[in-house]
Amino acid sequence: MSTLLLGTDAQPVRDLARALGAELVVVPDVDGAPGHDGTDWAWADALEAWRTEAAAGPATGAVVVAAWTGDLGAPTPLDDLDLGGWVARHEVAFGRWFAALGVAAARCGDHGAIVAVVDKAAPLDCAGRAAETGVADAVEALARSLARSEGPRGVRVNTVTTPVRLTSPPVVLPAPPLATFPGTIAVEVAGAVRTLLGRDAVGITATTVHADSGRTGH
Amino acid sequence: MSRVVLVTGATGGVGRGIALACGEAGWTVWIAARREAEGTAVADEVTALGGQGRFVRCEAGEPASVQEAVATVVATDGALHGAVHNATSGLSPRPGSVADTTLADLRDHVAVSVRGTYLLARESLPHLEAVGGALLVLTSEAGFEGKARLPAYAAVKAAQRGLVRALAREWGPKGVRVNALAPLAATPAVDEAFRRDPAMSERVLGRSPMGRLGDAATEIGPVARFLLGPDAAFLTGSTLLADGGSCSIS
Repeated sequence: MSTLLLGTDAQPVRDLARALGAELVVVPDVDGAPGHDGTDWAWADALEAWRTEAAAGPATGAVVVAAWTGDLGAPTPLDDLDLGGWVARHEVAFGRWFAALGVAAARCGDHGAIVAVVDKAAPLDCAGRAAETGVADAVEALARSLARSEGPRGVRVNTVTTPVRLTSPPVVLPAPPLATFPGTIAVEVAGAVRTLLGRDAVGITATTVHADSGRTGH
Repeated sequence: MSRVVLVTGATGGVGRGIALACGEAGWTVWIAARREAEGTAVADEVTALGGQGRFVRCEAGEPASVQEAVATVVATDGALHGAVHNATSGLSPRPGSVADTTLADLRDHVAVSVRGTYLLARESLPHLEAVGGALLVLTSEAGFEGKARLPAYAAVKAAQRGLVRALAREWGPKGVRVNALAPLAATPAVDEAFRRDPAMSERVLGRSPMGRLGDAATEIGPVARFLLGPDAAFLTGSTLLADGGSCSIS
């Protein structure tokens, strides 16, 4: 089964593609567009054009989406995050996810599987990450929406969350159950993705797996 | 104790229900909305119930408008105990798949629901901190479970839940509580969604143990009032479902 990975041109995304043996299709990094602060969504035009073009590509049986922001920035309380920062960290990021998941639905063949891999801090660790937490929850809901709309043609859609890129010491106590926290892209994240793409997960859809060493706790 | 609360998008539906419930408790309720005639009418209803109803023009996704609305409340009444973000995009009830939803449409959903939450939160924080107040965000069961035909709406409602979780962590030390409420109520927006997608009514009501939609004023509004008031003093970071047991995910 060939795996397509829709992701930004960031090193962690390339690491994930390598671990999965997936072909990377690059989602445009629109947040680097010069000359505006992004509040007017002018950047969305490039994403829309990419969505139209990428959706027309050939179908495949397994699609992974990792539309990750290249630089997540330091944890920032919401009251210290100005509108430009908010737009960059939440709105542009979510717009990119929306476009990429739309392409995933278009490119995934009947009876295939889609896995969205999203940065997410566990509830204990989400202070300063309101923008990213909002994106992650939105992606989970979007994946569940796609699980419902694509389910009738046998397509499964699930989400894997990872705190790998969001975690910086010290972490709030208590310590995570596994000492491997926050895990790695190549092992914990890729392992969860492979499981959800595989035949053993044939009855699993609209589910979120937190590949976070037990940090989320449910 | 009398409280001063601001409710966005309160010209009808759940927002109006929250306003009326708070008015019944004798609170001062600001109807923050775009449509002055409808907003003033709801403010008059609040006053008739024993509260003090007021209208302030507010475009939930516009920074200057939200800033001015909050400033008007504080300048007039001297405090803000509760800020409620209820406004949603006018596109909310319009069904369509992810492929049918343009990024221009998505922008409208995001601007009103999520950017609106961000703006109201930031503008309200110093005033809520001054009195140990509360932020309340209206989300939806769609934000838990997704919707095949309302994916953008479901996504922004989920994003709001994420914001609430993070803000509760950030604002707890400041003494400000942050919660979300996910109602399932009879509203003009739900009526419109049912009209646009006739099978939706059967899907929604068929799975509800109570078999009906809630009443915005008598069954949803009081829950919001609870979350804003002193009885919820130790409750933060939660999303409370007031949906008659409908949602399949808790």
